[in-house]
Amino acid sequence: MTAAVDARFRASVGEGEGAFSVEVEFTLERGVLVLFGPSGSGKSLSLQAIVGAVRADRGSLAVLGETVFDVERAIDVPSHRRRIGYVPQHHSLFPFCSVFENVVFGLPRTHRRTVSRETHDLIEELGIGHLRSAMPGTLSGGERQRVALARALAVGPRLLVLDEPFASIDRQGKTELLGMLKALLTRRNLPALLVTHDPSEARAVGDTVVTFERGRSLRQTSVDALADAP
Amino acid sequence: MEDPFFPVFLSLRVALTAMVFVVPAGIALAWLQASRAHRFRGFVDGLVLLPMVLPPSVIGFFLVWLFGRRGLFGHALNGLGVRLIFTPWAAVLASATVALPVLVKAAQPAMETVPRELLVVGRSLGLAPVEVFFRVVLRGAWRGVATGIVLAFVRAIGEFGATLMFAGNIPGRTNTMTIEIWSAYQGGDESRALSYVVVLTALGLATVFLSARIAPSPSRPR
Repeated sequence: MTAAVDARFRASVGEGEGAFSVEVEFTLERGVLVLFGPSGSGKSLSLQAIVGAVRADRGSLAVLGETVFDVERAIDVPSHRRRIGYVPQHHSLFPFCSVFENVVFGLPRTHRRTVSRETHDLIEELGIGHLRSAMPGTLSGGERQRVALARALAVGPRLLVLDEPFASIDRQGKTELLGMLKALLTRRNLPALLVTHDPSEARAVGDTVVTFERGRSLRQTSVDALADAP
Repeated sequence: MEDPFFPVFLSLRVALTAMVFVVPAGIALAWLQASRAHRFRGFVDGLVLLPMVLPPSVIGFFLVWLFGRRGLFGHALNGLGVRLIFTPWAAVLASATVALPVLVKAAQPAMETVPRELLVVGRSLGLAPVEVFFRVVLRGAWRGVATGIVLAFVRAIGEFGATLMFAGNIPGRTNTMTIEIWSAYQGGDESRALSYVVVLTALGLATVFLSARIAPSPSRPR
């Protein structure tokens, strides 16, 4: 069976004393892989390389069997053609667009004016139907991330990556969102990578976990092993 | 007697033509400086800033030195039958030189405030880099860019020193409003000078009002 994600690469940022690099090695067969570890361990930099915001120094990444980049073979699919949905922790919405405009932002121009059945269903599924004309500045943290999730899913990605999307949401909102995310991914059979340093988040959504420490991905285990960790 | 409206229309034509070059070049330069930590960032920054800190006569001298009949590029242009010096095009070039840094310095900080995450999100949604620029960067920074365009236009229409040196004071050909004010005042025709002073002051006040309305501020979205 083709793995959903096969990542073996090194990526770096900064220069001189501020330089930081991460060595990544993991495979996601299906479901949700949690990139787990303390702040500064290289989780987010790994995601940046996967979405194409940072170029890898060496190694390769394949999504659903298709090479996304392979430094040694000089293959590098531009980030806008990777079909990898991205939900960041901060600044997740376009502040100059309403909720609806945000959701349809990545759709072809002709699909942006009228609501297709799929978009309508997605908006309802995420419980943001009543917020369509609201501006991002008026939304709560949880509502903002629901909109960001709807927008990422609306364009039909083949992989979803989420960089600590629930970090600034209250506990109740987080629990609700985690359940919703899990259901959405399962229903769509969509593989996902989730960065978090919160074990409860990892357990709620993840199937497998890869632990990061000091710029390296160490071991890949089932999410239950993480649950048993002290 | 020369048409009193000629300097007004010439100034508008010169400033608008200068803006045709300044707007795309200024926006592209601002984005280049805002988006990348390239090796020549400091050099480009200095080059862009130079016309803001140099006296207008020095800018005029450089323009003559570069584009004059025997200038560095002027000589070659002359060979092609193109003469810039003492033409309205010289006034355009002088205006564009002083207006460009005004636009870059207003647009660049506005573009820098567009969060990097939004650019990554834009690309992840399938937007090509040029679409990300127009739909995310320019839309997010439009207030700063628009303010820059307004201020650059006013700087272009108000250019005097470099224009006088490079385009000269040829009535009916290169006498823009600012040159006409100086010329009329020198000739003792204060009322003629005053009429152009009024036009330029009104334009300045309108600019102050307009830029205050559109400039980014913490109390309103960018």
